[in-house]
Amino acid sequence: MAGPRIACIGVIGKADNPLHISLFPPYSDATIEFSFLLNSCLDIFEIRRKQTSIDQDLGLLQAIDERLAAYGWLTTTGVKFLVIVDLFGEETTSTRLAGPAVSGLRDADLKTAFRALQTAYIQLLQNPFYSPDLHTPALGTVDGACQPISNPKFIADVKRIGETWAPGATL
Amino acid sequence: MSTNKASRIGEEIWKTRVDKVNAELVTLTYGTIVAQLCQDYNSDYQEVNKQLDKMGYNIGMRLIEDFLAKSGVGRCANFRETADMIAKVGFKIFLNVAPTVTNWTSDNNQFSLIFDDNPLADFVELPDDGRAQDELWFSNILCGVLRGSLEMVQVQIEAHFVSDVLRGDDTTEMRVSLVRYIEDEMPPEEE
Repeated sequence: MAGPRIACIGVIGKADNPLHISLFPPYSDATIEFSFLLNSCLDIFEIRRKQTSIDQDLGLLQAIDERLAAYGWLTTTGVKFLVIVDLFGEETTSTRLAGPAVSGLRDADLKTAFRALQTAYIQLLQNPFYSPDLHTPALGTVDGACQPISNPKFIADVKRIGETWAPGATL
Repeated sequence: MSTNKASRIGEEIWKTRVDKVNAELVTLTYGTIVAQLCQDYNSDYQEVNKQLDKMGYNIGMRLIEDFLAKSGVGRCANFRETADMIAKVGFKIFLNVAPTVTNWTSDNNQFSLIFDDNPLADFVELPDDGRAQDELWFSNILCGVLRGSLEMVQVQIEAHFVSDVLRGDDTTEMRVSLVRYIEDEMPPEEE
């Protein structure tokens, strides 16, 4: 099935510390490349944030090449959700893309994914045994030694969102 | 008094005579208490269970008065009636859940409460340290509440959880057993 798929989901904390990064096939091993891409998106968040009155949904942040595009969502508490979309998806050998099948995504298509991510994140925060402090670098420390999210339910949720999302799909 | 009648009473009181509070407030407050206890006792979950039970006991002793005032019900004729009253009226008006009463022993002295829905445990996932799943009874406060409130009406019981969906079990089940009816003790006669 060809069509836009999610290649990577990143949850980045307030201090630009990575909380969770999920990669999806065929990019499962491209950890370094995607860390780099996510990093480059953080600057765009910074720029957009300075503009007045922005919505939580930042829409398209940057088109990296003809395949990959990064979309962002910034909550008021400074947590950032990043989704990198693979516009071609996993191509199967038989189906060649016919015509302008993929002419780009509407921002609204990503909204469901972001909403679902936000819901998952809220659920995580509601869990009394999850302590957000452990995942925020203490003020003043430079290296920011803080842990990524290890909660299995959250990770599974993110995985589910990344695997099932498609334009127009409900999550 | 039949189970249905108890359900109706519970429903009626819940609708008309109970002040409501935001469910998330309750859930998050309770969750914080348990998490804090775990931290204070360095994850000694046996001790946490004990403390929760004790807190519940203190709540129960006070709550029963409120329960009797709101419900206006009289003395239960037998332990079966007590069970229905707890499940269909007590839990209904304070937590808006009505656990199922089941698994009676033949002598009518022990029963189970099965919770389909437990507002205290929404959002909760037990810590992943390999012990909490086996040792912590997250909602143990409820056992204490029952023990405390029933003791105030001369019924001594013992209550404990036997399974919890938080631990990965299929159901959340609390086992309640009647120990004895406490006779009113007369003050020692004066000489």
